[in-house]
Amino acid sequence: MADDKDVLRDVWFGRIPTCFTLNPDEVTEREAEPYYLLLPRVSYLPLVTDKVKKHFLKVMRTEDVEEMWFEHEGTPLKWHYPIGVLFDFHASNTVLPWSITVHFKNFPDVDLLHCPTNSMVEAHFMSSIKEADALKHKSQVVNDMQKKDHKQLWMGLQNDKFDQFWAMNRKLMEYPTEEGGFRYIPFRIYQTTNDRPFIQRLFRPVSTEGNPHTLFDLLKEMCPDALTKDGCLQHLPCLPWTSFMSLTLNLCFSSSPPPKVESASLLG
Amino acid sequence: MSCGVVDEEEFCRCCRLLLQHSNGVGDGWSWEAVRGSDEGYLKKTLLRSVPAERSVPQKHKEPGSDSEKFDYCHLQTEEQEKQGVDASSDSLRPDAEEEDDGVCGAPAGSSSVLQFEYHILYSCSYRTPVLYFRASTLEGRSLTLEDVWRTVHPNYRLGLQSRPLDAITQQEHPFLGQAFFYLHPCRTEEFMKPLLQMARDQNRQVNYVLSWLSVVGPMVGLEVSLECLKQQQLHPTTPQQLRVPLRGSIQQPKTL
Repeated sequence: MADDKDVLRDVWFGRIPTCFTLNPDEVTEREAEPYYLLLPRVSYLPLVTDKVKKHFLKVMRTEDVEEMWFEHEGTPLKWHYPIGVLFDFHASNTVLPWSITVHFKNFPDVDLLHCPTNSMVEAHFMSSIKEADALKHKSQVVNDMQKKDHKQLWMGLQNDKFDQFWAMNRKLMEYPTEEGGFRYIPFRIYQTTNDRPFIQRLFRPVSTEGNPHTLFDLLKEMCPDALTKDGCLQHLPCLPWTSFMSLTLNLCFSSSPPPKVESASLLG
Repeated sequence: MSCGVVDEEEFCRCCRLLLQHSNGVGDGWSWEAVRGSDEGYLKKTLLRSVPAERSVPQKHKEPGSDSEKFDYCHLQTEEQEKQGVDASSDSLRPDAEEEDDGVCGAPAGSSSVLQFEYHILYSCSYRTPVLYFRASTLEGRSLTLEDVWRTVHPNYRLGLQSRPLDAITQQEHPFLGQAFFYLHPCRTEEFMKPLLQMARDQNRQVNYVLSWLSVVGPMVGLEVSLECLKQQQLHPTTPQQLRVPLRGSIQQPKTL
């Protein structure tokens, strides 16, 4: 666990340099300068873009301002996905800084969820945590935690407090040693080549023979097309994500060209 | 079907039976298969006539307005309080009963027609079905969460609000990736447990999905037709029948 703490810190403090530009069709009183920000990978857009909103509101009239939303190269960005997942999925092949366009009109309400307040982000985050625990511990750990513990978990994320967050999250990462891992591993696989938004299915950490499953096993079962014919992993999915959330996966892979972007993100 | 949950295979079986019964009485359910997998979901679209005070879609409020001060769950309580008198008097009107049974053509000026789309998916995390839905006006404008709350019958609102995770929230549809509303599944096991136990005590077989739907559906305007339930009574699933391949004995819908 001591070695892992460095990895946990690296993941937590991961940042993506981003350039926010106002959609040219927005009505402004004067020209809007782009706004630069380092976005935390583990957080969510509505939590970290207050300054972006304030910056652009300075050049707009209130009557021209509706709910803010973001887009990258024409694709609306789903705020309820962690920022790191959004970047890996949409822009990992592009040069930095990541270019995001800001909109205040024509909210695409078929594709995007509304996000009027931070409470909405909290509700989604906690819902993910609870769903992940349903898979890991049949909800026993999260239900045994008190409301103030849930609050601390959320505040830790919202305020970028690693220690505060992990003081609570470590409880959700425990498992009985004789089991060898969680009941099921909570994961989602996002693929640019897929119609559906993500793949999420039941997956045990240990095989019926008692061998620990690897990331390779997971991918082989869930998205075999992502692997090359001779069974090698084409591109390393976000390594930090896999070790951040699941301590039960032993990573075993070989990397080989050519790269094909995918992102494995683990819930809660 | 032990405890209050259902496995995916049993879920699919229950859906097939529900579909069969639905086809028999023209209840409008269909099965949508997910391309490239054996997963899928039940789908039904219907038009609902909702009293005007409860149906007018409002432009989504921008952040920074009054609504931002409140949690979404509490927002509805405030609104409900303001409309309290109207809402309760609605339910006393004989019209209100008729208007909510999905039949259009209510008296002009007192109600409007909305299109609702319901999907029943399986959650492998909670091992229960989950109800997703979305709604729009006939002109194609999507209903917001506030609009949807207004269509929920006042009798259900308090119960839904008191436990936030049971409330109606927006969620991404796991197969379509689009914005839907859904009823959080985390308490389904809790209310299905006694229901299934009672059926076992009475030596009755139940269709898990149908029973679950008859509990959650009405909260969001989805009534399970009496005919559909009657069909289940007439053709109950017995342990013997479960072992018989459906292909041979009962006509199976082609889509499955």
